[in-house]
Amino acid sequence: MHTQDFPQLASIEAIEQGFESFGYICSPKIATAVFLAFQLRKPILVEGPPGVGKTELAKTTALMLDLPLIRLQCYEGLDEAKALYEWKYGKQLLYTQILKEKLGDLLQGADGLAASVERLHQFGDTFYSEEFLEPRPLLKAMQQERGAILLIDEVDKSDYEFESLLLEILSDYQVSIPEIGTIKARVSPMVFLTSNNTRDISDALKRRCLHLYIPFPSVRLEERIVLSRVPDIDQQLRHQLVQFVHSLRDLDLKKSPAISETIDWARSLLLLHARELDADIIHSTLNVLLKFEDDINTVESGLRELLPRPAQS
Amino acid sequence: MQSHLVSFIRLLRSHDVRVSPAETLDAMAVAATLGYAQRERLRDGLAAALAKTPQEEAVFQHCFNRFFDRSLSDFASTREERDTAANEQDAPAGTPVASAEGGTEEFGGAGAESLLDATAASDAALSELLASPLLQQLRNNDSTALNLALGEAAAGVGLSQIRMFTQKGQFTRRMLDAMGEEQLRRTLAALEQSQSPALEPLRRYRDILREQVRDYVERQYLLQAEGQNARFMDNLLSHTRLSNLEHRYLHRVHELVRQMARKLAERHARKQRSYRRGRLDMGRTLRRGIANDGILFHTHWKRVRKQKPQLLAICDVSGSVAAYAKFLLLFLYSLQDVLPKVRSFAFSSHLGEVSELFDQYPVDKAIELVNWRYGGATDYGKSLQDFARLALDDINSNTTVIILGDARNNNSDPQLDIMRSIYQRSRRVIWLNPESRRAWGTGDSEMLRYLSACHFAAECNNLTQLERVVDQLLKINR
Repeated sequence: MHTQDFPQLASIEAIEQGFESFGYICSPKIATAVFLAFQLRKPILVEGPPGVGKTELAKTTALMLDLPLIRLQCYEGLDEAKALYEWKYGKQLLYTQILKEKLGDLLQGADGLAASVERLHQFGDTFYSEEFLEPRPLLKAMQQERGAILLIDEVDKSDYEFESLLLEILSDYQVSIPEIGTIKARVSPMVFLTSNNTRDISDALKRRCLHLYIPFPSVRLEERIVLSRVPDIDQQLRHQLVQFVHSLRDLDLKKSPAISETIDWARSLLLLHARELDADIIHSTLNVLLKFEDDINTVESGLRELLPRPAQS
Repeated sequence: MQSHLVSFIRLLRSHDVRVSPAETLDAMAVAATLGYAQRERLRDGLAAALAKTPQEEAVFQHCFNRFFDRSLSDFASTREERDTAANEQDAPAGTPVASAEGGTEEFGGAGAESLLDATAASDAALSELLASPLLQQLRNNDSTALNLALGEAAAGVGLSQIRMFTQKGQFTRRMLDAMGEEQLRRTLAALEQSQSPALEPLRRYRDILREQVRDYVERQYLLQAEGQNARFMDNLLSHTRLSNLEHRYLHRVHELVRQMARKLAERHARKQRSYRRGRLDMGRTLRRGIANDGILFHTHWKRVRKQKPQLLAICDVSGSVAAYAKFLLLFLYSLQDVLPKVRSFAFSSHLGEVSELFDQYPVDKAIELVNWRYGGATDYGKSLQDFARLALDDINSNTTVIILGDARNNNSDPQLDIMRSIYQRSRRVIWLNPESRRAWGTGDSEMLRYLSACHFAAECNNLTQLERVVDQLLKINR
């Protein structure tokens, strides 16, 4: 990937504006990280609490650059057959069946086993060529003509072995297949790895990546995000609801509401034609914001203190 | 600027941020791409390349602000100071601000300046001094050149080696010598003898110089030594006998213990499932083969899910081990925070479960409560009975029992049979004794007898030993 191909990534300001036009409001920190990832051709490891827009960042980048987004969702037990490549066993089988007679023709006139094997060798490893290779997301990302955005989602869910598998791909953008050789990326893809911090990522992997931690946004940033995602909402209500969500984040909850929940909530308030936050409306829509019964109880019991004071509203 | 970046990275390393050479190169590339013009941008970019966890990022921010504050904006701030000094001087003429660094060019200092020059005309030593680059810098208020000279002198005397605050004076002296202060000093002494009127202004320059050097050394000390000192302290603390630790280091030990527990839990909580090669899962393999005309391309191996060890920890909180008990409880508390299945018990004359206390209260309060409830004279026999009543049924082949205590039983019945039944039921019984091995079995210690009912017993009286033992324990459990 070169800068002239992607004017959207030419400067940090351009990235910020580009993201904004696709509805992703980002802090300068995020834009800087994306800029560096592009300039230095390094993967970004994005960490942060769930729902702050880690996956969205990769999606928006793909949209902005008009590149295919190739996504690899990690889970326990993910291995190279599902992530990298696999041989098309069925096709190989089918072909050997069909070619059975052909084989007979080929081997006609060969004296003895040794000669037959010798003759077979002349045809090389037909069955282990690229035609019989089933590319999985990682290999697919390497094969894209114009480059790609590779999103390796929730890498912390995968096993340690899988992390080591990623190392070759992330540092050299190449994949080694024993039967074929090394396949190098035509255009090195831009790689985003996300992690929810359920476990520590190994140092080797971290060292190869730029690190970006996305925290919960500030009130102003979040208001802008809500504005871009739910433009119809009343300005005063928007201010109130963002304030309310921020005060919730200070509470000791099992799961603090993230940006995605704020947006969902704003949408539901809009649907319900709410003009202002009051106890009733919060009471009936709290389940959009909080996903645990305990949390809902905690908040409801202390709702009085959390509500915006009438003097302000 | 590159060497600057390298020394910044050294600073990060001294604050326990691990930066590899490859990351150093990344940082260089980042700085080259972003340029040094915009501070915020550079900070974000370097953070992305160097700090790889949120904790590291916090440290990074702290270090960055400190380090680049000095080197990037120093000049600006001095200029600002000078401006304010000049402004203040404009208003009330007779204020003592005239002695400030920048005041010299204004009318207040002009007299002194000409006085200096006038005296220099008749005094060879003084005129030589005034011609020296050092005095030029001071007189022209050239803070860039002065800073540069400071930096050179610092490199010359190896200021980056400063470790202890006691070295500050020594390094200040050496820096001054390296910058050629001696000449200034000698001239001053001569002027003093001759009672020349140029003494006063020159003395002021000397003070300014000294102040600058002192500040510089101070900053370097803070940058270089802070992280080192903390590490030195930690190292020392973890090798000191727990009973000898002074009270004021408690909170530090606290933090150490918590770190240790977290490290251990992290290292051992990793994998719960392992594939065992060698035993084929026939059913699955056949089922998978159906798609391929019954040909078994994929083999499926049986796997075993590993269970996390259940941990029962029993801690003696009696007077004889009071000094240790505090730490052992602290360790238990931290362990319970990080490992899922830990039940903790405390005893002296009788025994009770304290897991709930640990869950409910913050650590200080919990430990205080435990000591208050269960403190007293030791009775291992009675306590073992209590333990058997509470938890013996829960002990199975996946349970590890850790006992923390000195096994001094005040000559009463040790109830070895209960100990033996715990031993037989559990996976492991581990006894951690704060007394040294030589003291085991002397006086009223029942340690040697209990030893027969332990899989493993170790002496454990400082944090390093504790860590080693627990690490070993968790390893065996895997």
